[in-house]
Amino acid sequence: MSIDWFAYLVVALVTLVATLLVVGLYSTGVRLYAISSDAGPGPAAQGRPTLVRAGAYACFALCAAAVLFGVYLIVPALHF
Amino acid sequence: MVALVIALALFFDFTNGFHDTANAMATPIATGAIKPKNAVALAAVLNLVGAFLSTEVAKTISGGIIREGDGGIQITPVMIFAGLLGAVIWNLITWLLGLPSSSSHALFGGLIGAAVVGAGFGAVDYSVLMSKVILPAFIAPAIALSVAYLATKLAYSITRRHDPDSGDKLPRKRGGFRYAQIFSSSLVALAHGTNDAQKTMGVITLVLISGGFQTVGTGPVFWVVAACAFAIAAGTYAGGWRIIRTMGTGLTDVKPAQGFAAETSTAAAILASTHLGMALSTTQVASGSVIGSGLGRKGAEVRWGTARRIAGGWLLTLPAAAVMGAAAAAVAATGMIGVTVDAVLGLAIILFIFLWSRRNRVGHDNAVSNIDNAGGAVRIKKGKSRSRSSASAEARKENARTKDKEHSK
Repeated sequence: MSIDWFAYLVVALVTLVATLLVVGLYSTGVRLYAISSDAGPGPAAQGRPTLVRAGAYACFALCAAAVLFGVYLIVPALHF
Repeated sequence: MVALVIALALFFDFTNGFHDTANAMATPIATGAIKPKNAVALAAVLNLVGAFLSTEVAKTISGGIIREGDGGIQITPVMIFAGLLGAVIWNLITWLLGLPSSSSHALFGGLIGAAVVGAGFGAVDYSVLMSKVILPAFIAPAIALSVAYLATKLAYSITRRHDPDSGDKLPRKRGGFRYAQIFSSSLVALAHGTNDAQKTMGVITLVLISGGFQTVGTGPVFWVVAACAFAIAAGTYAGGWRIIRTMGTGLTDVKPAQGFAAETSTAAAILASTHLGMALSTTQVASGSVIGSGLGRKGAEVRWGTARRIAGGWLLTLPAAAVMGAAAAAVAATGMIGVTVDAVLGLAIILFIFLWSRRNRVGHDNAVSNIDNAGGAVRIKKGKSRSRSSASAEARKENARTKDKEHSK
């Protein structure tokens, strides 16, 4: 009986890295978005919210890309 | 006979669908990210699409667990019929109990039982059974649990905010995770469609080949793909509300960030495993993730009693379905009369379970009642205010009691 223990290890690691990446990114996005929607702390911070908000959207976009990559993996017709 | 097997296979596909809606949609329903009815509709559509997208799994359905072909045993339609009957009945029993159990294990169990009765214990390839079914059953939830735990921790530590001056907690806007949940759970539903509908396609194709209607070595034909896709979508839409209740609220109270973490780990685990050549059970991965996300949030409690019940269901699934498949095969082996007896008995059991379930109906309206009523505008209560409100409720009760006493005086 040969059991491919290595395969389990690889699956576990890939799952871990992928999940932490996506969740981490989205959480960062949520946090940045929350910061950008705070009331501005003063005139010195003018323009900062837009930049932070852009960062939040960038995080969300990366997550969307991750989901699309998942869809790409599922559909064999896309593998050339 | 072939027609009967196909009908039963499609019914199995249907039970598979409503058994596994919970995997993808239990947490978004529980957090109020999607309304229950929309959630099952979304899952149904994605299952339908997923079933058409890929037929890779269908080609390797039996996975070599049962030695078929040259030097092995001859799989007959009767054997498959008996195996399916065992799988369907076990699926319905676990549904009645609200247990998320693996439909694939039920199918494998039923087929193994039927094959053992039909051709002896030598018919089963035990090393494949061990490495493809039994070991993953322990490893899948473990991987999902630990990953979901870490992901939940990460999500909460990143979004924790304190005002630097006063040290007060700032609004964290974790509700944003709700939108993300819609996408992560959709991905799980899609992955489920590409996996589970395939199993039934594989079975039907196997029957068609063994019945001589299709040449050996060809993939599923189009009408089989379409029928299976629609059967699983219909099953998904019917919604296994009992199992959704168990997964969504029975294991732990799920908040949006946890739900997102759990769904992402489920999706990642399923995608990683299918692409690295190892099939993990969607159900087991999803349950593991939910428990992990419960462990990861401070103040969330995991109801281990429910978890133990689910784990018990997993251990029983393979042998129980095997015993039922074996019994059905033993009866069916007596010939046409046996098959008829099987069919009638099976139908009676299915009807009985269905009628029994009517006694306490669980539907989209009451599966996760308290949250459903609040709709999309669920406010996440803080630990303090929750205990305060329950304390004030206690006080009110106490007041009422003393008033009652005064009245009676």
